[in-house]
Amino acid sequence: MGRDIAVLVKASLNPEIVRQVSEGIYDIDYTPLKISDVDRNALEEAARLKGILGGKVYSITVLTWGPSKARDKDLKLAVQEALAKVADEAYVVVDDNVIPGDPIVTSNAIVGVLKSKGLKPTLILAGEASVDESTSQVPGRVAAKLGYSYVGYVRRVLEVREGSVVVERDVEEYVETLEAPLPAVLSVTQEINEPRPPTLIQIRMASRKPLYTLKLSDIGLDVKPKRLIRDMRVITVFRKQVLVEEASMEKAVEKLLEYLEREGVLRV
Amino acid sequence: MKALVISQRPSDAGELVALAKGFGEPVILAFQESASKVDEVAAYGCRVYRVRSDRPEALYKAAFSLYESLNPKIIVGPSTKNVKDATALLAGSLDIPMVTEVVELSDGGSVLTYKRGFMSERVTMKAEVPYPVIALVNPKIVEPAEKAGRGEVIDLNVGELKVNIVGVRAKELSGVKLEEAEVVIGVGRGFKSKEDLKLAFELAKILNAQVGGTRPIAADLKWLPEDAWIGISGKKITPKLYIAVGVSGAPQHMSGVSGSKVIVAVNKDKSAPIFKQADYGVVADLYKFLPILTSKLREKFPGRA
Repeated sequence: MGRDIAVLVKASLNPEIVRQVSEGIYDIDYTPLKISDVDRNALEEAARLKGILGGKVYSITVLTWGPSKARDKDLKLAVQEALAKVADEAYVVVDDNVIPGDPIVTSNAIVGVLKSKGLKPTLILAGEASVDESTSQVPGRVAAKLGYSYVGYVRRVLEVREGSVVVERDVEEYVETLEAPLPAVLSVTQEINEPRPPTLIQIRMASRKPLYTLKLSDIGLDVKPKRLIRDMRVITVFRKQVLVEEASMEKAVEKLLEYLEREGVLRV
Repeated sequence: MKALVISQRPSDAGELVALAKGFGEPVILAFQESASKVDEVAAYGCRVYRVRSDRPEALYKAAFSLYESLNPKIIVGPSTKNVKDATALLAGSLDIPMVTEVVELSDGGSVLTYKRGFMSERVTMKAEVPYPVIALVNPKIVEPAEKAGRGEVIDLNVGELKVNIVGVRAKELSGVKLEEAEVVIGVGRGFKSKEDLKLAFELAKILNAQVGGTRPIAADLKWLPEDAWIGISGKKITPKLYIAVGVSGAPQHMSGVSGSKVIVAVNKDKSAPIFKQADYGVVADLYKFLPILTSKLREKFPGRA
Protein backbone atom coordinates (compact mmCIF):
# COMPACT_ATOMS: atom_id res chain seq x y z
CA MET A 1 0.00 0.00 0.00
CA GLY A 2 1.26 3.45 -0.90
CA ARG A 3 1.64 5.96 1.90
CA ASP A 4 1.50 9.28 0.04
CA ILE A 5 -1.29 11.85 0.17
CA ALA A 6 -2.23 14.36 -2.52
CA VAL A 7 -4.23 17.45 -1.57
CA LEU A 8 -6.19 19.41 -4.19
CA VAL A 9 -5.89 23.12 -3.53
CA LYS A 10 -7.81 25.75 -5.48
CA ALA A 11 -6.98 29.42 -5.82
CA SER A 12 -10.62 30.60 -5.84
CA LEU A 13 -12.13 33.97 -6.57
CA ASN A 14 -12.70 35.68 -3.23
CA PRO A 15 -16.50 35.92 -2.76
CA GLU A 16 -16.11 38.62 -0.14
CA ILE A 17 -14.92 41.02 -2.81
CA VAL A 18 -17.56 41.40 -5.50
CA ARG A 19 -17.15 44.44 -7.72
CA GLN A 20 -19.16 45.69 -10.64
CA VAL A 21 -17.72 47.12 -13.83
CA SER A 22 -20.92 48.86 -14.89
CA GLU A 23 -24.66 48.26 -14.60
CA GLY A 24 -24.27 45.16 -12.50
CA ILE A 25 -21.70 43.42 -14.71
CA TYR A 26 -19.46 41.39 -12.41
CA ASP A 27 -15.80 42.35 -12.59
CA ILE A 28 -13.95 39.04 -12.54
CA ASP A 29 -10.56 40.41 -13.61
CA TYR A 30 -10.17 42.53 -10.51
CA THR A 31 -11.44 39.97 -8.03
CA PRO A 32 -8.48 38.63 -6.06
CA LEU A 33 -7.89 34.90 -5.66
CA LYS A 34 -7.46 33.20 -2.33
CA ILE A 35 -7.14 29.63 -1.13
CA SER A 36 -10.63 28.12 -1.04
CA ASP A 37 -11.74 27.95 2.61
CA VAL A 38 -12.53 24.23 2.83
CA ASP A 39 -9.18 23.36 1.23
CA ARG A 40 -7.63 24.50 4.51
CA ASN A 41 -9.55 21.70 6.24
CA ALA A 42 -8.21 19.24 3.64
CA LEU A 43 -4.65 20.42 4.34
CA GLU A 44 -5.16 20.15 8.11
CA GLU A 45 -6.49 16.60 7.70
CA ALA A 46 -3.55 15.74 5.44
CA ALA A 47 -1.19 16.91 8.20
CA ARG A 48 -2.91 14.62 10.69
CA LEU A 49 -3.01 11.62 8.36
CA LYS A 50 0.61 12.14 7.29
CA GLY A 51 1.47 11.40 10.91
CA ILE A 52 -0.33 8.06 10.58
CA LEU A 53 0.69 7.07 7.05
CA GLY A 54 4.23 8.43 7.19
CA GLY A 55 4.53 9.09 3.43
CA LYS A 56 4.92 12.24 1.38
CA VAL A 57 2.28 14.91 0.80
CA TYR A 58 1.98 16.85 -2.44
CA SER A 59 -0.44 19.60 -3.31
CA ILE A 60 -1.91 19.99 -6.79
CA THR A 61 -3.37 23.27 -8.02
CA VAL A 62 -4.83 24.11 -11.43
CA LEU A 63 -5.32 27.79 -12.25
CA THR A 64 -8.92 28.39 -13.38
CA TRP A 65 -9.05 32.19 -13.55
CA GLY A 66 -6.69 34.34 -15.55
CA PRO A 67 -4.88 36.01 -17.04
CA SER A 68 -2.06 34.06 -15.42
CA LYS A 69 0.31 37.04 -15.23
CA ALA A 70 -2.14 39.02 -13.13
CA ARG A 71 -2.84 36.02 -10.89
CA ASP A 72 0.73 35.05 -10.12
CA LYS A 73 0.94 36.64 -6.67
CA ASP A 74 -2.41 35.32 -5.38
CA LEU A 75 -1.71 31.87 -6.81
CA LYS A 76 1.71 31.70 -5.12
CA LEU A 77 0.17 32.71 -1.77
CA ALA A 78 -2.35 29.87 -1.94
CA VAL A 79 0.30 27.31 -2.93
CA GLN A 80 2.75 28.58 -0.30
CA GLU A 81 0.10 27.99 2.33
CA ALA A 82 -0.17 24.35 1.25
CA LEU A 83 3.62 23.99 1.35
CA ALA A 84 3.87 25.70 4.74
CA LYS A 85 1.05 23.67 6.22
CA VAL A 86 1.93 20.16 5.10
CA ALA A 87 2.97 19.61 1.48
CA ASP A 88 6.51 18.40 0.71
CA GLU A 89 6.16 19.57 -2.86
CA ALA A 90 3.63 21.50 -4.91
CA TYR A 91 2.47 21.04 -8.51
CA VAL A 92 0.79 23.98 -10.20
CA VAL A 93 -0.75 23.85 -13.67
CA VAL A 94 -0.87 27.28 -15.31
CA ASP A 95 -1.84 27.50 -18.95
CA ASP A 96 -3.47 30.53 -20.55
CA ASN A 97 -4.82 28.29 -23.33
CA VAL A 98 -7.37 26.79 -20.94
CA ILE A 99 -8.34 29.91 -18.98
CA PRO A 100 -11.03 30.40 -17.80
CA GLY A 101 -11.06 26.72 -17.03
CA ASP A 102 -13.87 24.38 -16.04
CA PRO A 103 -14.16 21.15 -14.04
CA ILE A 104 -13.26 19.10 -17.14
CA VAL A 105 -9.94 20.91 -17.55
CA THR A 106 -9.20 20.89 -13.82
CA SER A 107 -9.86 17.19 -13.30
CA ASN A 108 -7.93 16.16 -16.42
CA ALA A 109 -5.00 18.36 -15.41
CA ILE A 110 -4.90 16.87 -11.89
CA VAL A 111 -4.90 13.35 -13.29
CA GLY A 112 -2.33 14.44 -15.88
CA VAL A 113 0.06 15.67 -13.17
CA LEU A 114 -0.25 12.43 -11.20
CA LYS A 115 0.27 10.19 -14.23
CA SER A 116 3.07 12.15 -15.91
CA LYS A 117 5.02 12.50 -12.66
CA GLY A 118 4.47 8.88 -11.66
CA LEU A 119 2.74 9.91 -8.42
CA LYS A 120 0.56 7.25 -6.82
CA PRO A 121 -1.08 8.71 -3.72
CA THR A 122 -3.03 6.29 -1.58
CA LEU A 123 -5.32 9.15 -0.51
CA ILE A 124 -6.42 12.24 -2.39
CA LEU A 125 -8.03 14.90 -0.19
CA ALA A 126 -10.04 17.90 -1.37
CA GLY A 127 -12.53 20.42 -0.02
CA GLU A 128 -16.23 19.57 -0.47
CA ALA A 129 -16.71 22.65 -2.67
CA SER A 130 -14.79 25.71 -3.81
CA VAL A 131 -15.93 29.09 -2.50
CA ASP A 132 -16.35 30.59 -5.95
CA GLU A 133 -18.11 27.97 -8.09
CA SER A 134 -19.19 25.51 -5.44
CA THR A 135 -20.03 22.66 -7.82
CA SER A 136 -18.51 19.79 -5.75
CA GLN A 137 -17.58 17.72 -8.77
CA VAL A 138 -13.79 17.76 -9.29
CA PRO A 139 -12.96 15.16 -6.56
CA GLY A 140 -15.50 12.68 -7.99
CA ARG A 141 -14.29 13.24 -11.53
CA VAL A 142 -10.69 12.59 -10.45
CA ALA A 143 -11.72 9.39 -8.64
CA ALA A 144 -13.56 8.08 -11.70
CA LYS A 145 -10.63 8.80 -14.01
CA LEU A 146 -8.11 7.12 -11.73
CA GLY A 147 -10.38 4.22 -10.76
CA TYR A 148 -10.05 5.18 -7.07
CA SER A 149 -12.93 4.73 -4.63
CA TYR A 150 -14.73 7.95 -3.76
CA VAL A 151 -16.49 9.37 -0.73
CA GLY A 152 -17.72 12.95 -0.74
CA TYR A 153 -18.65 15.15 2.25
CA VAL A 154 -16.43 13.37 4.77
CA ARG A 155 -16.80 14.91 8.21
CA ARG A 156 -14.48 12.52 10.05
CA VAL A 157 -11.73 10.09 9.14
CA LEU A 158 -12.16 7.45 11.82
CA GLU A 159 -9.44 5.00 10.90
CA VAL A 160 -6.87 4.27 8.25
CA ARG A 161 -6.54 0.50 7.90
CA GLU A 162 -4.23 -1.58 5.74
CA GLY A 163 -6.02 -1.28 2.41
CA SER A 164 -9.03 0.80 3.47
CA VAL A 165 -10.19 3.95 5.20
CA VAL A 166 -13.18 4.27 7.54
CA VAL A 167 -14.98 7.61 7.40
CA GLU A 168 -18.16 9.42 8.41
CA ARG A 169 -20.03 11.00 5.51
CA ASP A 170 -22.43 13.88 5.96
CA VAL A 171 -25.67 13.56 3.99
CA GLU A 172 -28.49 16.08 4.40
CA GLU A 173 -30.49 14.37 7.18
CA TYR A 174 -28.14 11.61 8.31
CA VAL A 175 -24.53 10.56 8.79
CA GLU A 176 -23.12 7.37 7.28
CA THR A 177 -20.11 5.39 8.40
CA LEU A 178 -18.36 3.90 5.38
CA GLU A 179 -15.36 1.77 4.63
CA ALA A 180 -13.71 2.71 1.34
CA PRO A 181 -10.91 0.65 -0.19
CA LEU A 182 -7.60 2.43 -0.84
CA PRO A 183 -6.58 4.20 -2.93
CA ALA A 184 -9.42 6.64 -2.35
CA VAL A 185 -10.48 10.21 -3.05
CA LEU A 186 -12.20 11.97 -0.13
CA SER A 187 -13.80 15.41 -0.16
CA VAL A 188 -14.02 16.89 3.32
CA THR A 189 -16.42 19.30 5.04
CA GLN A 190 -15.54 22.12 7.44
CA GLU A 191 -16.68 20.02 10.40
CA ILE A 192 -13.73 17.64 10.01
CA ASN A 193 -11.25 19.77 11.95
CA GLU A 194 -10.27 23.26 13.03
CA PRO A 195 -7.56 24.40 10.60
CA ARG A 196 -4.60 26.03 12.30
CA PRO A 197 -2.62 28.60 10.35
CA PRO A 198 0.96 27.55 9.55
CA THR A 199 3.61 28.67 12.01
CA LEU A 200 6.32 31.19 11.14
CA ILE A 201 8.90 28.41 10.95
CA GLN A 202 6.65 26.42 8.61
CA ILE A 203 6.19 29.50 6.41
CA ARG A 204 9.94 30.04 6.25
CA MET A 205 10.54 26.36 5.41
CA ALA A 206 7.95 26.51 2.64
CA SER A 207 10.07 28.72 0.41
CA ARG A 208 12.73 26.00 0.27
CA LYS A 209 10.35 23.26 -0.83
CA PRO A 210 10.02 22.38 -4.52
CA LEU A 211 7.25 24.07 -6.49
CA TYR A 212 6.75 22.78 -10.03
CA THR A 213 4.87 25.01 -12.45
CA LEU A 214 3.61 23.09 -15.47
CA LYS A 215 1.79 23.76 -18.73
CA LEU A 216 -0.63 21.24 -20.19
CA SER A 217 1.97 20.28 -22.81
CA ASP A 218 4.40 19.42 -19.98
CA ILE A 219 2.02 16.75 -18.76
CA GLY A 220 1.15 15.56 -22.26
CA LEU A 221 -2.42 16.78 -22.13
CA ASP A 222 -4.66 18.22 -24.81
CA VAL A 223 -7.95 19.28 -23.30
CA LYS A 224 -10.16 22.32 -23.83
CA PRO A 225 -12.74 23.83 -21.50
CA LYS A 226 -16.29 23.05 -22.64
CA ARG A 227 -18.01 25.79 -20.72
CA LEU A 228 -18.52 29.18 -22.28
CA ILE A 229 -19.42 31.95 -19.84
CA ARG A 230 -21.89 34.37 -21.42
CA ASP A 231 -22.73 36.81 -18.69
CA MET A 232 -22.05 37.43 -14.99
CA ARG A 233 -24.16 39.83 -12.99
CA VAL A 234 -23.94 41.05 -9.44
CA ILE A 235 -27.15 40.32 -7.57
CA THR A 236 -28.33 43.58 -6.14
CA VAL A 237 -31.13 43.41 -3.63
CA PHE A 238 -32.25 46.83 -2.57
CA ARG A 239 -32.29 47.21 1.20
CA LYS A 240 -33.39 50.39 2.93
CA GLN A 241 -30.42 50.50 5.31
CA VAL A 242 -32.23 52.65 7.89
CA LEU A 243 -30.10 52.89 11.01
CA VAL A 244 -31.61 53.16 14.49
CA GLU A 245 -29.13 54.62 16.95
CA GLU A 246 -30.58 55.67 20.28
CA ALA A 247 -28.98 56.03 23.68
CA SER A 248 -32.24 54.83 25.22
CA MET A 249 -33.11 51.21 24.48
CA GLU A 250 -36.84 51.95 24.95
CA LYS A 251 -36.62 54.58 22.24
CA ALA A 252 -34.75 52.24 19.92
CA VAL A 253 -37.37 49.54 20.42
CA GLU A 254 -40.23 52.00 19.80
CA LYS A 255 -38.62 53.26 16.60
CA LEU A 256 -38.02 49.77 15.28
CA LEU A 257 -41.58 48.68 16.05
CA GLU A 258 -42.92 51.76 14.30
CA TYR A 259 -40.96 50.86 11.13
CA LEU A 260 -42.09 47.25 11.28
CA GLU A 261 -45.74 48.26 11.77
CA ARG A 262 -45.47 50.42 8.68
CA GLU A 263 -44.01 47.49 6.72
CA GLY A 264 -46.95 45.38 7.85
CA VAL A 265 -44.72 42.49 8.94
CA LEU A 266 -45.57 42.40 12.65
CA ARG A 267 -49.04 40.90 12.56
CA VAL A 268 -48.35 37.53 11.06
CA MET B 1 -33.88 11.71 -28.24
CA LYS B 2 -34.05 10.67 -24.60
CA ALA B 3 -33.73 12.79 -21.46
CA LEU B 4 -32.75 10.88 -18.32
CA VAL B 5 -34.33 12.01 -15.06
CA ILE B 6 -32.68 11.03 -11.76
CA SER B 7 -35.38 11.08 -9.07
CA GLN B 8 -34.30 10.78 -5.43
CA ARG B 9 -37.63 11.67 -3.78
CA PRO B 10 -41.11 11.31 -5.27
CA SER B 11 -41.58 15.04 -4.54
CA ASP B 12 -38.83 15.98 -7.02
CA ALA B 13 -40.11 13.82 -9.90
CA GLY B 14 -42.85 16.10 -11.27
CA GLU B 15 -40.58 19.11 -11.68
CA LEU B 16 -37.73 17.08 -13.15
CA VAL B 17 -40.02 15.36 -15.66
CA ALA B 18 -41.39 18.76 -16.69
CA LEU B 19 -37.85 20.06 -17.23
CA ALA B 20 -36.73 16.96 -19.13
CA LYS B 21 -39.63 17.28 -21.58
CA GLY B 22 -38.01 20.43 -22.94
CA PHE B 23 -35.11 18.30 -24.22
CA GLY B 24 -36.45 14.90 -25.14
CA GLU B 25 -38.54 11.94 -24.05
CA PRO B 26 -38.16 11.55 -20.28
CA VAL B 27 -36.99 8.24 -18.82
CA ILE B 28 -36.73 8.06 -15.03
CA LEU B 29 -34.01 6.50 -12.91
CA ALA B 30 -35.52 6.10 -9.41
CA PHE B 31 -33.09 5.99 -6.50
CA GLN B 32 -33.30 6.03 -2.70
CA GLU B 33 -36.79 7.19 -1.54
CA SER B 34 -38.08 7.26 -5.12
CA ALA B 35 -37.08 3.60 -5.48
CA SER B 36 -39.06 2.54 -2.41
CA LYS B 37 -42.08 4.63 -3.43
CA VAL B 38 -41.77 3.83 -7.12
CA ASP B 39 -45.54 3.95 -7.78
CA GLU B 40 -45.58 7.69 -7.11
CA VAL B 41 -42.73 8.19 -9.56
CA ALA B 42 -44.27 5.92 -12.23
CA ALA B 43 -47.43 8.04 -12.16
CA TYR B 44 -45.92 10.50 -14.64
CA GLY B 45 -46.32 7.91 -17.38
CA CYS B 46 -42.63 7.51 -18.22
CA ARG B 47 -40.61 4.31 -18.12
CA VAL B 48 -38.92 3.97 -14.72
CA TYR B 49 -35.65 2.18 -14.07
CA ARG B 50 -35.20 1.46 -10.41
CA VAL B 51 -32.02 1.01 -8.40
CA ARG B 52 -32.87 -0.14 -4.87
CA SER B 53 -30.07 1.58 -3.02
CA ASP B 54 -29.19 4.81 -1.29
CA ARG B 55 -25.49 4.63 -2.23
CA PRO B 56 -24.15 7.22 -4.71
CA GLU B 57 -21.92 4.55 -6.19
CA ALA B 58 -24.96 2.39 -7.03
CA LEU B 59 -26.67 5.36 -8.67
CA TYR B 60 -23.50 6.05 -10.65
CA LYS B 61 -23.31 2.49 -11.95
CA ALA B 62 -27.01 2.46 -12.85
CA ALA B 63 -26.79 5.84 -14.59
CA PHE B 64 -23.67 4.74 -16.46
CA SER B 65 -25.37 1.64 -17.88
CA LEU B 66 -28.46 3.64 -18.84
CA TYR B 67 -26.28 6.29 -20.45
CA GLU B 68 -24.73 3.63 -22.65
CA SER B 69 -28.04 2.05 -23.67
CA LEU B 70 -30.23 5.18 -23.98
CA ASN B 71 -27.66 7.70 -25.18
CA PRO B 72 -29.53 10.62 -23.57
CA LYS B 73 -28.93 14.22 -24.56
CA ILE B 74 -29.30 15.41 -21.00
CA ILE B 75 -29.42 13.96 -17.49
CA VAL B 76 -31.39 16.06 -15.01
CA GLY B 77 -31.56 15.58 -11.26
CA PRO B 78 -31.74 17.38 -7.92
CA SER B 79 -28.66 19.18 -6.49
CA THR B 80 -28.37 16.91 -3.45
CA LYS B 81 -25.21 15.42 -1.97
CA ASN B 82 -25.93 11.83 -3.02
CA VAL B 83 -26.85 12.79 -6.57
CA LYS B 84 -23.88 15.16 -6.90
CA ASP B 85 -21.47 12.46 -5.75
CA ALA B 86 -22.94 9.97 -8.21
CA THR B 87 -23.04 12.30 -11.20
CA ALA B 88 -19.53 13.64 -10.51
CA LEU B 89 -18.30 10.06 -11.02
CA LEU B 90 -20.41 9.76 -14.18
CA ALA B 91 -19.21 13.13 -15.52
CA GLY B 92 -15.61 12.11 -14.84
CA SER B 93 -15.79 8.76 -16.55
CA LEU B 94 -17.54 10.21 -19.62
CA ASP B 95 -15.70 13.57 -19.56
CA ILE B 96 -18.96 15.41 -20.15
CA PRO B 97 -20.04 18.74 -18.62
CA MET B 98 -21.92 18.78 -15.32
CA VAL B 99 -23.64 21.84 -13.90
CA THR B 100 -25.25 22.10 -10.46
CA GLU B 101 -27.68 24.35 -8.56
CA VAL B 102 -29.14 25.46 -11.88
CA VAL B 103 -32.06 27.93 -11.66
CA GLU B 104 -32.80 28.33 -15.38
CA LEU B 105 -32.07 26.08 -18.32
CA SER B 106 -32.99 26.04 -21.99
CA ASP B 107 -32.08 24.26 -25.18
CA GLY B 108 -29.72 26.39 -27.26
CA GLY B 109 -29.42 24.01 -30.25
CA SER B 110 -26.12 22.18 -29.83
CA VAL B 111 -25.64 23.54 -26.31
CA LEU B 112 -27.44 23.77 -22.99
CA THR B 113 -27.86 27.36 -21.85
CA TYR B 114 -28.15 27.72 -18.08
CA LYS B 115 -28.07 30.12 -15.19
CA ARG B 116 -26.76 29.49 -11.68
CA GLY B 117 -25.42 31.29 -8.63
CA PHE B 118 -21.74 32.05 -8.34
CA MET B 119 -19.47 33.63 -5.69
CA SER B 120 -21.52 32.44 -2.69
CA GLU B 121 -24.72 33.43 -4.55
CA ARG B 122 -23.65 37.06 -4.86
CA VAL B 123 -23.33 36.83 -8.64
CA THR B 124 -25.40 35.00 -11.26
CA MET B 125 -23.63 33.30 -14.12
CA LYS B 126 -25.14 32.56 -17.52
CA ALA B 127 -23.15 30.03 -19.48
CA GLU B 128 -23.44 27.25 -22.04
CA VAL B 129 -22.04 23.75 -22.35
CA PRO B 130 -22.29 21.31 -25.29
CA TYR B 131 -24.46 18.18 -25.10
CA PRO B 132 -24.48 15.56 -23.68
CA VAL B 133 -24.67 17.21 -20.29
CA ILE B 134 -25.61 16.54 -16.66
CA ALA B 135 -27.75 19.35 -15.18
CA LEU B 136 -28.62 19.24 -11.47
CA VAL B 137 -31.21 21.85 -10.61
CA ASN B 138 -32.64 23.71 -7.65
CA PRO B 139 -36.18 22.84 -6.52
CA LYS B 140 -39.25 24.80 -7.62
CA ILE B 141 -37.83 26.32 -10.78
CA VAL B 142 -40.73 24.94 -12.89
CA GLU B 143 -44.28 23.75 -12.37
CA PRO B 144 -44.46 19.97 -11.94
CA ALA B 145 -45.65 17.86 -14.89
CA GLU B 146 -49.19 16.46 -14.87
CA LYS B 147 -49.55 12.83 -13.84
CA ALA B 148 -50.32 10.63 -16.82
CA GLY B 149 -51.05 6.93 -16.44
CA ARG B 150 -48.53 4.46 -15.14
CA GLY B 151 -45.09 3.90 -16.60
CA GLU B 152 -43.44 0.51 -16.74
CA VAL B 153 -40.98 -0.21 -13.88
CA ILE B 154 -37.74 -2.09 -14.56
CA ASP B 155 -35.35 -3.12 -11.80
CA LEU B 156 -31.65 -2.58 -12.35
CA ASN B 157 -28.99 -4.67 -10.70
CA VAL B 158 -25.69 -2.87 -10.25
CA GLY B 159 -23.62 -5.66 -8.72
CA GLU B 160 -20.98 -5.19 -6.04
CA LEU B 161 -19.94 -1.78 -4.77
CA LYS B 162 -16.43 -0.73 -3.75
CA VAL B 163 -17.48 1.34 -0.75
CA ASN B 164 -19.12 -0.58 2.10
CA ILE B 165 -21.65 0.88 4.46
CA VAL B 166 -20.90 0.21 8.14
CA GLY B 167 -23.68 2.23 9.76
CA VAL B 168 -26.13 5.11 9.49
CA ARG B 169 -27.33 7.46 12.18
CA ALA B 170 -29.84 10.28 12.02
CA LYS B 171 -28.65 13.78 12.77
CA GLU B 172 -30.00 15.54 15.79
CA LEU B 173 -32.61 17.73 14.19
CA SER B 174 -35.09 20.21 15.56
CA GLY B 175 -37.67 19.48 12.89
CA VAL B 176 -38.35 23.20 12.45
CA LYS B 177 -39.20 24.17 8.93
CA LEU B 178 -37.30 27.44 8.64
CA GLU B 179 -38.06 27.55 4.91
CA GLU B 180 -41.77 27.78 5.64
CA ALA B 181 -41.67 30.26 8.55
CA GLU B 182 -43.11 33.77 8.14
CA VAL B 183 -40.84 35.24 10.79
CA VAL B 184 -37.32 33.97 11.48
CA ILE B 185 -34.86 35.07 14.13
CA GLY B 186 -31.24 34.38 13.25
CA VAL B 187 -28.63 34.18 15.98
CA GLY B 188 -24.90 34.70 15.53
CA ARG B 189 -21.69 34.92 17.50
CA GLY B 190 -22.91 38.04 19.32
CA PHE B 191 -24.44 35.56 21.78
CA LYS B 192 -21.86 34.60 24.37
CA SER B 193 -23.30 31.26 25.49
CA LYS B 194 -25.86 28.65 24.55
CA GLU B 195 -27.99 29.59 27.57
CA ASP B 196 -28.23 33.18 26.31
CA LEU B 197 -30.12 31.98 23.24
CA LYS B 198 -33.22 31.94 25.44
CA LEU B 199 -33.42 35.70 24.76
CA ALA B 200 -33.98 34.85 21.08
CA PHE B 201 -36.45 32.05 21.88
CA GLU B 202 -38.52 34.34 24.11
CA LEU B 203 -38.73 36.90 21.31
CA ALA B 204 -39.59 34.11 18.88
CA LYS B 205 -42.50 32.99 21.03
CA ILE B 206 -44.20 36.38 20.99
CA LEU B 207 -43.62 36.79 17.22
CA ASN B 208 -44.65 33.23 16.32
CA ALA B 209 -41.17 32.97 14.84
CA GLN B 210 -38.67 30.15 14.27
CA VAL B 211 -35.07 30.42 15.42
CA GLY B 212 -32.11 29.65 13.15
CA GLY B 213 -28.43 30.44 13.29
CA THR B 214 -25.20 31.09 11.44
CA ARG B 215 -22.68 28.38 10.69
CA PRO B 216 -20.62 28.83 13.89
CA ILE B 217 -23.75 28.57 16.05
CA ALA B 218 -25.48 25.64 14.36
CA ALA B 219 -22.69 23.64 12.72
CA ASP B 220 -19.54 24.31 14.72
CA LEU B 221 -20.65 25.09 18.29
CA LYS B 222 -23.84 23.03 17.91
CA TRP B 223 -25.83 25.42 20.10
CA LEU B 224 -28.70 24.79 17.69
CA PRO B 225 -29.58 21.60 15.78
CA GLU B 226 -27.94 21.32 12.37
CA ASP B 227 -31.18 21.89 10.46
CA ALA B 228 -31.39 25.35 12.03
CA TRP B 229 -28.31 26.47 10.13
CA ILE B 230 -29.10 29.33 7.73
CA GLY B 231 -26.68 30.03 4.89
CA ILE B 232 -25.34 28.88 1.58
CA SER B 233 -24.62 25.33 2.77
CA GLY B 234 -27.52 25.36 5.22
CA LYS B 235 -31.12 26.51 4.83
CA LYS B 236 -32.24 29.22 2.42
CA ILE B 237 -35.15 31.13 3.91
CA THR B 238 -37.77 33.50 2.53
CA PRO B 239 -39.75 34.89 5.49
CA LYS B 240 -41.67 38.16 5.61
CA LEU B 241 -39.45 39.27 8.46
CA TYR B 242 -35.91 38.18 9.27
CA ILE B 243 -34.35 39.49 12.47
CA ALA B 244 -30.60 38.90 12.63
CA VAL B 245 -29.27 39.22 16.16
CA GLY B 246 -25.54 39.34 16.81
CA VAL B 247 -24.91 38.33 13.19
CA SER B 248 -21.99 40.04 11.42
CA GLY B 249 -23.29 39.52 7.86
CA ALA B 250 -20.78 37.18 6.18
CA PRO B 251 -21.74 36.50 2.52
CA GLN B 252 -22.13 32.76 3.22
CA HIS B 253 -24.89 33.58 5.71
CA MET B 254 -26.51 36.48 3.87
CA SER B 255 -26.99 34.47 0.68
CA GLY B 256 -29.30 32.24 2.71
CA VAL B 257 -31.55 35.12 3.76
CA SER B 258 -31.54 37.30 0.64
CA GLY B 259 -35.10 36.23 -0.18
CA SER B 260 -36.50 37.79 3.02
CA LYS B 261 -39.00 40.62 2.56
CA VAL B 262 -37.74 42.75 5.44
CA ILE B 263 -34.39 42.29 7.17
CA VAL B 264 -33.71 43.70 10.64
CA ALA B 265 -30.22 43.60 12.13
CA VAL B 266 -29.31 44.06 15.78
CA ASN B 267 -25.59 44.43 16.37
CA LYS B 268 -23.51 46.50 18.76
CA ASP B 269 -20.77 46.99 16.17
CA LYS B 270 -21.82 49.89 13.95
CA SER B 271 -19.32 48.84 11.27
CA ALA B 272 -20.75 45.28 10.97
CA PRO B 273 -21.34 44.53 7.25
CA ILE B 274 -24.88 43.36 7.98
CA PHE B 275 -26.11 46.95 8.35
CA LYS B 276 -25.50 47.50 4.63
CA GLN B 277 -27.64 44.45 3.86
CA ALA B 278 -30.52 45.18 6.21
CA ASP B 279 -33.65 47.32 5.90
CA TYR B 280 -33.54 48.34 9.54
CA GLY B 281 -30.39 48.21 11.62
CA VAL B 282 -30.34 48.73 15.35
CA VAL B 283 -26.96 49.59 16.83
CA ALA B 284 -27.36 48.10 20.28
CA ASP B 285 -26.13 45.50 22.71
CA LEU B 286 -28.44 42.54 22.15
CA TYR B 287 -28.40 41.72 25.86
CA LYS B 288 -30.00 45.09 26.60
CA PHE B 289 -32.14 45.40 23.49
CA LEU B 290 -33.84 42.01 23.19
CA PRO B 291 -35.49 41.90 26.67
CA ILE B 292 -37.04 45.33 26.08
CA LEU B 293 -38.17 44.43 22.56
CA THR B 294 -39.78 41.24 23.89
CA SER B 295 -41.59 43.00 26.74
CA LYS B 296 -42.89 45.78 24.45
CA LEU B 297 -44.22 43.15 22.07
CA ARG B 298 -45.92 41.38 24.98
CA GLU B 299 -47.73 44.63 25.76
CA LYS B 300 -48.68 45.01 22.11
CA PHE B 301 -49.91 41.44 21.67
CA PRO B 302 -51.29 40.45 25.06
CA GLY B 303 -53.11 37.50 23.49
CA ARG B 304 -49.86 35.76 22.62
CA ALA B 305 -47.58 33.83 24.95
